[in-house]
Amino acid sequence: MAPHSIGRRAFTIGAAAASGLALTRPAWAKGSVTSAIYPGSWDEAYRGIVAPALKRAHDIDLEMQPLFAVDQIAKAKAARGAPTFDVFVLDPGPRVTGINDGLFETFDPTKLGNAGKLPAGLADDKGTTVAAQVVGIGYNPKKLPAPRAWTDLFKEPFVSRLGLTGFQTTFGTVSIIEIAKAFGGSETNVEPFFTEIKKVLPQIAGIGAPAGMPGLFQQGQFDVMYTNTQTVGTLRGRGVDIEFASPESGAIAFFTTMHLAKGAAEPANAYKYLDTVIGKDVQEALMKAPYFLVPVNRDVPLDPSLPMKSLDEMSKFVRHDWSKINPLRASWIERFNKEVAK
Amino acid sequence: MSRRHSPSDMSYTLVIGVLASLALVILVGPVLVVLLTSFTDNRSLKFPPTGLSLQWYAELFDATRSRQIHRAALNSLEVAAWSTGLATLFGTMAALALARSEARWARMLDTLFMSPMILPGLAFGLAALMYFTFLGFRPSLNLIMVGHAIVIVPLVLRTTSASLSQLDAALLESSASLGASWFYTLRRVTLPIIAPGIFAGAFLAFMASIDNVPVSLFLSGPRSDMLPIRLWGMMESTLDVRVAAVSGVFITTVICLMLLMERVVGLTKRIRD
Amino acid sequence: MTPAAARAGCSGGTRLPLRPAEWQLVLPLALAFVAFFAGPLLILAVVSAFDNEQITTVGFAMWTKFLGDPFYWKVIGDTVKLGFLTVGATLLVGYPLALVYIASGPWMQRVLIFVVILPLLTSVVVRTFAWIVILGREGVINHVVLWLGFAPAPLRLLQTELGLVIALTQIEMPLMLLPLLSVLGRIDPNLRDASAALGASKWRTLFQVTLPLSLPGLIAGCILVFASSTTAFISQSIIGGNRLVYLPLLIWQQSLVVYNWPLASVAALTLLLSVSAGIVALTLFGRRGMRHLHV
Repeated sequence: MAPHSIGRRAFTIGAAAASGLALTRPAWAKGSVTSAIYPGSWDEAYRGIVAPALKRAHDIDLEMQPLFAVDQIAKAKAARGAPTFDVFVLDPGPRVTGINDGLFETFDPTKLGNAGKLPAGLADDKGTTVAAQVVGIGYNPKKLPAPRAWTDLFKEPFVSRLGLTGFQTTFGTVSIIEIAKAFGGSETNVEPFFTEIKKVLPQIAGIGAPAGMPGLFQQGQFDVMYTNTQTVGTLRGRGVDIEFASPESGAIAFFTTMHLAKGAAEPANAYKYLDTVIGKDVQEALMKAPYFLVPVNRDVPLDPSLPMKSLDEMSKFVRHDWSKINPLRASWIERFNKEVAK
Repeated sequence: MSRRHSPSDMSYTLVIGVLASLALVILVGPVLVVLLTSFTDNRSLKFPPTGLSLQWYAELFDATRSRQIHRAALNSLEVAAWSTGLATLFGTMAALALARSEARWARMLDTLFMSPMILPGLAFGLAALMYFTFLGFRPSLNLIMVGHAIVIVPLVLRTTSASLSQLDAALLESSASLGASWFYTLRRVTLPIIAPGIFAGAFLAFMASIDNVPVSLFLSGPRSDMLPIRLWGMMESTLDVRVAAVSGVFITTVICLMLLMERVVGLTKRIRD
Repeated sequence: MTPAAARAGCSGGTRLPLRPAEWQLVLPLALAFVAFFAGPLLILAVVSAFDNEQITTVGFAMWTKFLGDPFYWKVIGDTVKLGFLTVGATLLVGYPLALVYIASGPWMQRVLIFVVILPLLTSVVVRTFAWIVILGREGVINHVVLWLGFAPAPLRLLQTELGLVIALTQIEMPLMLLPLLSVLGRIDPNLRDASAALGASKWRTLFQVTLPLSLPGLIAGCILVFASSTTAFISQSIIGGNRLVYLPLLIWQQSLVVYNWPLASVAALTLLLSVSAGIVALTLFGRRGMRHLHV
């Protein structure tokens, strides 16, 4: 393997020189920690804010692997016991899967100096919360009035401009549950959603893959969709005509958590990393443009653009129990495929 | 050249002309959209652009602001070069044996060697990760390279086999009967004839590796960030225009390479003549 | 053996004396397959033979669930159909372009080659955006259609099978044309001239001379396009939208959203088998054509 690697390296340097690109490999500091991170804006935010802060405070290099939550779980399951990263970043659905499959190391919140700054219960033996997500309706204010309720989405003028996504994502799942509730369903009964969607299916502007939604919205294919405040903030910051609306029944809140991977190579550095992430200054910087991550540290004064004045108000937001949702999700996805397929 | 303009020949010219023009429009249209968008002065991917600027290219070439993209691009180029090299070598050798063989085992192998292209990348990526973990390997650039080589080998095999089946058996026999060794015949007769096929396959393979998302996703470890995965994140969450600018760079690079090859090849031709 | 060796010997030089056997040429690739492909494939096969998501109970429940449900048969059928539609569309416009290519001068040929590889130079990520721009409700095509007054309201192209096939035609065209052009470029132009000189019409020359001689490249192109379009998950899901359900989408949902790996393996193997069947059909078709030609 060795001669081969040397050959490869030599080749790379040659290619780098030839293509004129900067060959940048991190210089090794005292230590490092490898964290999974959501691709795109989270990746940018952590690279811009958290990595320098961690370097300053503890002389630890932050390495990041851009992976969606579902991909992290799949990778950890496939490479059982030998994760390629030390820290997971997850939404509630994949978090429950990770707990059930024993993918996390037991977490000791007392090792985080900043744990006391989090609202009660946000750091436990599974991991720590690092951001909140607030889900509601995103719409184009130049083309539509503000929708007021989830049921509005299935009425004109919204329905013919509506872009739907299915149960693949956390925000999609909780939004559909809320729509179902608005039509008489519950957290575990999304039947009314299917009944209602059948009636309006021909009018709906489209059902998209979650990854394509920002592009479709930007080009005017859809003008209203369910989404979170962070996406709205990011897109608006990039000149997209989009506003966030909280439905009458309340915006939905859920937490993004970080967990120690079982078999993590650098657990001690991981605690320092997580403590840095939830520190006041870092959380405040992550909340500001262009990142728009909803903070979880009580000391952070909330930005006026957020749909709440304090973190405690979030307890009034709609919350969901993912240990009940997860077992139903497979059948919902199957049902969704069958109902909407042409 | 044509002696007459029969209605039939005119209909040929018309039909072929219209369809070929349609092909050109379909091929070029989306690329034009991407190129135009890459020169936008807008803050995100939007078509049509409100104004033109080079800001996104400047940002793409900025060593600090686009460091991660550069790193990922280097990884992707490295992996593509090695996996294409391996796939071309092994694929061409196999094609030499399989393309002209009527044996049942050869036909079966030929079909089998196509399967990595058909097995969805996601399923292969996940299963390969399980397999390599089982063998005790950690995800790394080397693993991605091996994974890519397997996935792109069908491209080389198909195009090379197609070229080989054109080879006139009589030509090979006459070369052999004139006393040429197998290797000599390969070098002087076979390879020159199938070179366009090998080259086409290698190019398809290289670009398929550069653009592969699922295999890279599962076989990547720390510090083995790959270009399309990074672009995917940028496009998905922030509609970053650099995603389009990358295509502009690729297109420019290929134009330069083609012009360069033209000069080199043209030069060697002149020397030889 | 001896005469062959003697012949090789007398021609001298630094040459390999013997002709390697066919199996020796295949060996490196075959070994690589055994080492790196057979393993993962075997894992898929084994995983598919479990009844539950935890992969603890052996059984064929996932196979019976999948193959016993007419919806999944429809998905299999739609996936194969998408492959054939894409092959048809790339052939319909790609082959005429190839004919123009062989009739062009060297300079024009280089330009055409460049145009043909253009789709490969735009990443799959940004290509999807380009197609949203072109096919979208407020997209390029609809602007033209509305401006010309062909339709009263914007056409629905994005997230339809038609739109997806158009987009895949562009994306897959290089896979059709590169093998085709490398074969067409090797056909002796004298054959076409002779055909014309003998009074054959251009159509007749096309169907009797050019098309049969280009068959190897044509079949290779068809196979590559078929394999690639049926598994093009990103294009299928973003340009096609989620109302068009194809096997790769099911595989993604089952493997990454609900972690039902047995069912995902079943879907992956089904895709492998059904697309392989399509490829075998294409190959047989091509071989028959070529045999016809040689007789």
